Amino acid sequence: MNQEYYPWGGEFTSCSQNGCVAVVLLNINYKPNEVVAIYGSLRTENIGIEKIVANVISNPNIRYLVICGNDIRGHHSGMSLIALNKNGIDDQHKIINAPGAIPYIENLNDEAIERFRDQIEIIDLLGITDKNKLDKTIDSLSIKSPPSFGEPYIAIKIIAESSVKLNDKRALHSKIIINYMGKIERRDK
Amino acid sequence: MFSFTKEQKVYKISDIKIGGQPGKHPTILFGGLFFKGEPDYINTEKNLQKIFNISEKTANPVIPDFFIRKEEHINNIINFIDSKLPKNVPFSVDVIEPSVKVKVLEYLNKKDLLSRTIYNSIHIGITDKELNALKKNTPEMAIILAFNPKDKSPDGKVEVLENGANLIENGLIDIAKNIGIKKILVDTAALAPGDNSGAAIAAIPVIKEEYGLPTGCALHNVVEKSKWLDNFDYAKRIVDASSNVSIPLFGGDYSIFGSMKMAEYILPVIAWQDILISEYVENYFGVSPDHYHPRRKLL
Repeated sequence: MNQEYYPWGGEFTSCSQNGCVAVVLLNINYKPNEVVAIYGSLRTENIGIEKIVANVISNPNIRYLVICGNDIRGHHSGMSLIALNKNGIDDQHKIINAPGAIPYIENLNDEAIERFRDQIEIIDLLGITDKNKLDKTIDSLSIKSPPSFGEPYIAIKIIAESSVKLNDKRALHSKIIINYMGKIERRDK
Repeated sequence: MFSFTKEQKVYKISDIKIGGQPGKHPTILFGGLFFKGEPDYINTEKNLQKIFNISEKTANPVIPDFFIRKEEHINNIINFIDSKLPKNVPFSVDVIEPSVKVKVLEYLNKKDLLSRTIYNSIHIGITDKELNALKKNTPEMAIILAFNPKDKSPDGKVEVLENGANLIENGLIDIAKNIGIKKILVDTAALAPGDNSGAAIAAIPVIKEEYGLPTGCALHNVVEKSKWLDNFDYAKRIVDASSNVSIPLFGGDYSIFGSMKMAEYILPVIAWQDILISEYVENYFGVSPDHYHPRRKLL
């Protein structure tokens, strides 16, 4: 499987297409064994989590999400990801009981989140940084070979290229007009 | 290079003025300290003096942005500010952990430093405890972060400032005003490459024309989050420094440029841009640079 298979680009490495394990790295310099499907670092408790959710549900073979390393201070991104899997989101799209500063999921629909919660079992290794321990857990999960979850779920799609022809003074943004000298005025609604 | 129709607010904190029409005041530069590891107070004091000397040469004020990661760092960092930072220099505090935010505000008040404090920042994740702490210990100035996770466009950023974008009950501007903060700076929330990073730049003139508030952002965040730039070891630093020129060029007032270590590179880059802007806007819009401006150093 090449990197393009996962719909949302970012700091991750894809390895074995049929692997059942994905690994989330928090403040840790660790390279998992190539048997995993994908691994990468997580920083933020909102967009970072959204990327992970979108990418792991696009590969139905992934059934385990290992979260390891030391959580991001203040953001608590690892704990927030665990909370998402356990509790889901509320009406304001806030992850229920997430300890992070801004734990909002805004770019994924409810179906994608439910799919993530159904497809993925979280393996909470927060606080663990020892390579041997991590290797051992990942190996033991890999040999379980659980069944695939079915069809890939594509939560986001890259927007097709488009262009807009501007035939008035609207430059830069619809709220403002900029004249040829650079004078900015609010555009009347 | 622009000029705005909306009246532009200029705020003063200690000896620094921020905001206004492009070309009026120098771009203000916030440099981060103590991001990682244990704070190194001795070297920081030496380096800050060196940076203030360069800042004096270019006429772009540098404001130290103190990153306070842990509760056990609060007293030492604030005591460092109190005893080592020149009294005419304001500073900002950047704290992520909500419980640490409350204690930082309380200790700043105790040390009588709130009149020099820029609170970085108020955003949609504000908690009731933080809100109450800000009401009791109100800083002179605050940055409000226009981060809207559901709409990263300039419209989404305006929405979160205006009405909270259904993420919180009130808009961030009203929240800051209700706390009693009179001097508000807007941060247009620069995000990672791939997350509409350019919207942080495009939003600057939109927000300045909409509210007249001093506006800027941390474009360093975009550079820092790029894995692709790691392929260009030498150029990465140049990209990091030069990307900041977009802020004054689009009418912005300040840049949060990442680690203070980059100040040496960024100061002349930004001063140069301020000079170019000033020459144009004085000619076409009649905006003369303030007496303290990079162009006055060149002339």
